[in-house]
Order: sequence, then structure tokens, then C-alpha cells
Amino acid sequence: MSDALRQSLDLSVFWEYRAVLLHGLAVNFYVFAASAVVALGIGLGAALLRVSRLAPVRWIGTVHVEIFRNAPEYIMVVWVHFVLPLLLSLLLARRLEFDPFVSSVIALGFVYSGYFAETFRAGIEAIPRAHIEAGRACGMPERLILWRIVLPQVVRRMLPESLNQFISLFKATTIVSLIAVPDLMYQVTMVTQQEMRPLPLYTGAALVYFTVIFAAGTLLRALSERWRSKIYA
Amino acid sequence: MINHSFERRSFRVPTTAQGAAVNAADAPNIRVVDLHKRFGALEVLRGVSFEVHRGNVLSMIGASGSGKSTLLRCINHLETPTSGDVLIEGRSLVYRDADGKRAPRSLAEINRMRRELGMVFQQFNLWPHMTALGNVIEAPIRVRRMARKEAVELGEECLRRVHLGEKSHEYPARLSGGQQQRVAIARALAMQPKAMLFDEPTSSLDPELTEEVLGVMRELARDGTTMIVVTHEMGFAREVSDRVMFLNDGLIEEEGPPQQIFGAARSPRLRQFISKYLH
Amino acid sequence: MSNWHRLVWNQRDALLAGLGVTIEVCAIAFAFAVVGGLVLCLLRMYVKPLRPVAITLIEFFRATPILVQLLWVNYVWPSLFGFPDSFFAAAWLALALQSSGYLAETFRGGIEAVPRGHREAAYSVGLSPFATFWRVTAPQVALAAAPSIVNQFTVIVKSSTLVSVITVQDLMYQSQKIVNIWYEPIEILTATAAIYIVVIFAVSIAGKALADSLRSRYGIAAA
Repeated sequence: MSDALRQSLDLSVFWEYRAVLLHGLAVNFYVFAASAVVALGIGLGAALLRVSRLAPVRWIGTVHVEIFRNAPEYIMVVWVHFVLPLLLSLLLARRLEFDPFVSSVIALGFVYSGYFAETFRAGIEAIPRAHIEAGRACGMPERLILWRIVLPQVVRRMLPESLNQFISLFKATTIVSLIAVPDLMYQVTMVTQQEMRPLPLYTGAALVYFTVIFAAGTLLRALSERWRSKIYA
Repeated sequence: MINHSFERRSFRVPTTAQGAAVNAADAPNIRVVDLHKRFGALEVLRGVSFEVHRGNVLSMIGASGSGKSTLLRCINHLETPTSGDVLIEGRSLVYRDADGKRAPRSLAEINRMRRELGMVFQQFNLWPHMTALGNVIEAPIRVRRMARKEAVELGEECLRRVHLGEKSHEYPARLSGGQQQRVAIARALAMQPKAMLFDEPTSSLDPELTEEVLGVMRELARDGTTMIVVTHEMGFAREVSDRVMFLNDGLIEEEGPPQQIFGAARSPRLRQFISKYLH
Repeated sequence: MSNWHRLVWNQRDALLAGLGVTIEVCAIAFAFAVVGGLVLCLLRMYVKPLRPVAITLIEFFRATPILVQLLWVNYVWPSLFGFPDSFFAAAWLALALQSSGYLAETFRGGIEAVPRGHREAAYSVGLSPFATFWRVTAPQVALAAAPSIVNQFTVIVKSSTLVSVITVQDLMYQSQKIVNIWYEPIEILTATAAIYIVVIFAVSIAGKALADSLRSRYGIAAA
């Protein structure tokens, strides 16, 4: 076993290919950033639907959330990449194909919009009615109340939970390697096929992801706690 | 078989609570000797000594931070005194004499001695995953090794004593605050303790619910239970206690029968304290 | 819709077999995750010398993506530890490791959430620290953690879709096999996605019902 251990920790091959591997990690970040934007936007929209006063509107939001929150990321990525273009082709009578990057962003964005919608909804519903009524009593229009009273508080309240979901989203971007998006895992798989040295390569990949996510997670959590405690005094 | 001596615990039922005479020949039930307690740099108890005799009710009053709760918690060793001693019927709770040397008692010994003291908390602290009856019989079964059937009979009797006989199969979540506190009292009584300690038992209750708990406590006092009560309920302290103790800043400022404390207080701080509560 | 009939209904045996494998992998992973999470939590909280080890393991299992863990366990561990010895074992092992990290933190939160007063009340009636842990603290932790544990099962099911990558013949593997044979992905992939969504939805509803009944009966909030 100690020989295998030595092999696993001999990261020289990892260092040799560092350029292409680092580029792969950057792709993880691109996918993450794009998906996060989609997920936040749609998630916020779905959350607002779910707190509407009209029952049918609420129902649409609920359906959206329940479908995407309960869908495995991998099957959604595969579905968006292979099925959605075919469906659209039938509709538009044209041959369509999605770039795997686009498929990934759409799939991950929609799946995580489900999680964010729930987080935002919980945050919105946690705002005391009294704050909203105080705004109304001052004569503020509903839209202003939303932007200046409700949303800022929602953001502060839901920051820790949202951070967890961002971290989950970043971890999920590794799935895109399976539809040939050249992220870090994809590059590691390619190099392994070439070099036939899985021990250090997969170990190295695990260590890289662990370091990045653990460091970023800890840092972001510390920053968010400091920011939140300033406001809540 | 139920231990029927439980029902006849009143050794010496006073005709009025205030008329109870302290028999000097009786060994005191609880004796506190020069108790000090320090939390880090802060000394909360600065040398407290007193006695409580069997069948008597001692009320402790004082401002927040005066050390009342800490004192009570030192008596049943939920807080370890920094120095000083607590004696239950002559036996020290804090130290043991081994070969003439004093050594602190082990946790197991303290646990065994703690059974003789019942404690009722401000936050009730009922265990939510057990029914009311379950809460009451847990200790008799597990600590006194009572058979389950016997324990259930004992438990239902204790619940009847606090007027909650019909609620034995309810979970605490379904009970009001006053009912929960009364179950907590029953739970403490089930161990047939030599004395009952009450740490602000009604401070967490809505005003309408305090009376039902105070009523049970009055009945316990009438039955001759030895009680030490930390409370803000001055009316209760005045009516039911044999002695009242005013704590200030970690020391006993004044101690005496209720007529003295509430009518003719000697200490100016005590008079100030009373005037805030009794208009 | 004869396409549906041909591609999905006629293949139901293969799909059901795949679903069976999925459930098997998830069930085994879940059992080990609960045990592993409990062990890690108790080590972290009560065994002082092993604390840094436990914390490192917990953070490692939580911070590495499941795909990475799956591949690493499958390709590297056999040389390092001699185990796992099959793709199936690698699958449930990786899934169990990831969830055990999360469950360890759930259990820790549950233990810390039991009010100190409950322990003090137990000591006051004479219960030993051992009896207090088993009769007062642990039951409350179990009840508070139950909804999170159910939720973690849905996470395991969602992650299990990836075990097809190491050739475990779960539902995902079977449906991809059919796609590769017939080159008509619409019906089969949609059906597969629907099956997963329905199953996971059902489990999450059960979890919510459990959380509601716990709160109303015992007044215990989910950890």
C-alpha cells in the first residue's frame, strides 16, 4: 500500500500538465458563474410567483420548484443536451444542436433555480409583516417596498444558506465533463487515458477541488458573517 | 407495593406556615457553610451561610445578579462551589472524608446524593420525547430501580397531586406552561426527595398561569415539604414562607420571618427593593 | 405514440432492473452513511485526540464533488486499501462517504441543540451522565435529525445517477444503453428523468410529513 500511497502523492505528472488542468478549472468557474446568474434570476422569479396573492400564480411557481428541486443534475444535463434540441427542432422545423457549454448552463441553472427559489421564499416569508405595513403606512408604493425593505432583508437573512447552495452548484459543474465540456475533470480523464497513471491524477484532482472549495467556502462564510453582524449589530 | 410513607411525609404540620417553630434539637435538613462561587474574575457568591430545617419553607429574594439562582444551583451541585460546603442532613455534598482527609466527591457520589433533592427549573425542562407520565417515572425506574408497574402507580399519584391526573399520556408540546411546570414538580416529587428546590418557577409563565403553579406549591408547603424557593412572587413569599432571605451582591443582606422582611425591614436596600414590588 | 410503446414500455424490464440496482446502491450507501456520520460525529465531539482527523475527514467529504469522489474511490482506492473490489462497491462507498460528512454535521447540530436544561433536569433527578445521554439527549437528536436524514437520502438518489459512469448498471446506465441502441433519446430520457423526479419527490414529501408530525407531536424542530 505504501508504494501506491507514494504514487498517489507523486503529483509531478499533475504539475507537468498544469497549464491544461488549470484551464480546465477555469472552465469550471465559467460554467459556475453563468449557471449562477441563470439560477438566481429564475429562482428569484419563481420565489416571487410563490408569494403572490393569486393562487394559480403560486401554483405555477410551486410546480417549477418541485420539478427542478427534485431532479438529479446529471439527468437534466443529459436531457437538455440531447432531447431539448430535438424537441425544438421539431417545433421550429430546423436542425438544432446545443453547444455543451450552453446545455450545461441551462440545465444547472434551472435545477439550482429550484433551490434558490425555496431559499428566497423562506427569506421573504420570514420578513415580519409589520415592516411591510409600516412601509404602506408611510405611503410607499408596493414596488418600492419590495426593493428597499423586503429584498435587502431577504439577502441578509438568506446569505448563509445561499452560500451553501453556491458551493453545491460549483461542485455540480464537474458533471459537465460527462458531456465533453473541457473542465478540470474532463482534462484529468483525458490525461489519464494518455499517461495511464490514474493514482496521482485522480488524487490530485480530489485535492485541488477540496482545497479550492474548502478555502473559498471558509473565506466566504467568514466574510458573510462579518457583513451580516454589522447590519444586525 | 407503593411505599405508603410517601403519603404521610408531614412530620410536623405547622398550624400556620408562619407559626412554625424551629426545633433547635432537629438537625438542619440543609446547611450551607461559607459558600463562595466565582466565574472567572467575577465572584458571584461571597460567603453565604444559612440553614433550612425540616418541613420549613425558605424563600430567597433579591435583584437579578444578586446570586440567588447560583446559590440554589450550588446546593444541588449543578454549579461547583469555589469554596465552602453544602451539607444535606449532616453529610457534605461537596467533600468526602477519606482517612481523615478531605477530598472532593466523585460525580457518581454526587449523583447519588442529588436524588435526595428535587429541583424545579424556570424553563420547566420537560423532556419533549416522553409523555408527562414518562417524564415522571423515568428516574424512579432508572435510578431507584423500581419495577415499571410500581413506578407507573407512583407517577400517576404524583400527577394527581399536582392536579394533572388526566394528562398523564399527553406530550409536553400539548401542555400549557403552567401544566408543564406542574408536571416538572411531579417529576421531582416522584423521587421522594428530602427537600425541593425551586428556581424562579413562575418567571416564565403568563400571569394567568402562575396561580395554578403557586397553588400546588402552597399545598406542598402545607403538607410539610422542605422547600427553598427563589422567586419574585412577593405575595407567595410573604404568605407561605417560614423564613425569607434577601440576597444582595453575593451576600445575605437580611434574613428573617416574613413579617420582619416585608413589614419592618432593617436594611435600607431591602426596603427599597420591597417598595418597588409592593405598592 | 407507438414510439413510447416501442422505446419505453417494451424496455420496461431493463428499466426496472436498472431501477432495482439504483435502489440497492442507494439503500446500502444510506445505511453506511448514517453509521459513518454517527461515528464521525461522536469522534469529533468526544474523542479529543482524534478530533482533527475527524474534522478533516468531514470537511474533505463535504467539499469534494461526488463525481470526483466516485472516480477517485473507484480507480485509486483498490491500489491504496485493497478495497473496493467491484464497481458496485465503489459506487455505494463513494456515495456513503459523501453523505456521512453531511450527516456528521447534522448530528452535531442536533446534539448541541438539546437545551442544557434538559441535561440538568436529568442530573437533578439523579440520572447518570450515561443514562442522560441515552434516554434524554440521543432520542431528541434522532427525532430532530430525522427530516435531514430523509433529505440526505434524496441527495444520495440524485448522486446515484453518476454511478453509471463507472459502469454500474443502474437506471441511468440502462436508459443510456437503450439510447445508444435506438438513437432516439426523446422518449426514453424524458421517461427516465420523470421516474427520478417522481421517486425523489415522493421521498421529499414523506420527509416533510415526518418533519410536520414531529413538530406537532413533540415540539421538536428539524435540525
